[in-house]
Amino acid sequence: MVEELKGAIALVGYGLAAIGPGIGIGIVVGNAITAMARQPEAAAVARTTMFLGIAFTEALALIGFVLFFIA
Amino acid sequence: MELILASGACDPAEEIICAPADVLELFEFKEALFSIGGFHFTKTVFLIFLAMVIVLAMLFFGLRGNRVVPTKFGTAVESMITFVKDEVAIGIIGPEGARYTPYLLSLFLFIIVGNLFEVTPFINFPIMSRMALPLFMAVMTWVIFVFVGFAKNQHHYFFDTIWPKSVPVALRPLVGLIELVSIFVLRPITLAVRLFANMVAGHLMLTLLLASGWIFMSSVGDIGARAVIGVPWFLFGLGIYVFEIVVAVLQAYIFTLLSAVYIQTSVHPEH
Repeated sequence: MVEELKGAIALVGYGLAAIGPGIGIGIVVGNAITAMARQPEAAAVARTTMFLGIAFTEALALIGFVLFFIA
Repeated sequence: MELILASGACDPAEEIICAPADVLELFEFKEALFSIGGFHFTKTVFLIFLAMVIVLAMLFFGLRGNRVVPTKFGTAVESMITFVKDEVAIGIIGPEGARYTPYLLSLFLFIIVGNLFEVTPFINFPIMSRMALPLFMAVMTWVIFVFVGFAKNQHHYFFDTIWPKSVPVALRPLVGLIELVSIFVLRPITLAVRLFANMVAGHLMLTLLLASGWIFMSSVGDIGARAVIGVPWFLFGLGIYVFEIVVAVLQAYIFTLLSAVYIQTSVHPEH
């Protein structure tokens, strides 16, 4: 029984792990766009920082993705 | 097709998508292409050396000679080097960042070539989807930023991390513990896992969608109208294919950028 459920639980776990980073990346990119629209001359800085923010936020989703295969 | 979907066991009459029985089949190449003195060259090892040769050849032929007017290819290589030097090394680390340019440039070029193998026809395998490579590069970055941290700030680098002066005294043990774990343990792990997981996800999606689509469409004689299932799979796979080119370049950029950020926090600790 537990063996049969294992794959399904891992799927649900990955789905849960994707919620937070999804919201987080939305906030990061949304605010970066606002910043770029307000100050187009600072777009380069905003873009670099946006990629950094995305990378940090995305890590959680990716760890969930790896755990899905390990589980 | 058997090159990327190692399991030939797919029955289009029963299944909806042709997934391999064991996902490792897509990433492990057991049989050696050729061996030199007990050292077996599998496809992965061969591709690693191929990536090295491509990077070296690109730099050699792009920067060869001392031309007044560089060739088109030379301009492209030079603009890539300028990008890593000005935007990443000097832009993130500061004026003394120029000395880290060779390391960051080799990371960037090796990762970008290794990632683009994923979308290269007839190769179709991102070498960064084997954990050993990203982990080794992340550990290399870890060694550099820890070494630079101790060289620039002596023991302050460690003690200011576990006892941060900029937060209230009551919070210092907690913040110090979090900082200690996140800097010395989590940084290299997340750096490696980010690149690894992106490439694994991309390779999985491409392989399953394109291989499934192709198997369904090519067995139209046996299963008749059911073969139509393959068309959306294949088209979706082609859409992902374009997306993966962006991901491959972006991940190389992010790995280089984060390496630079980590080195920067060691060069200028924030207190």
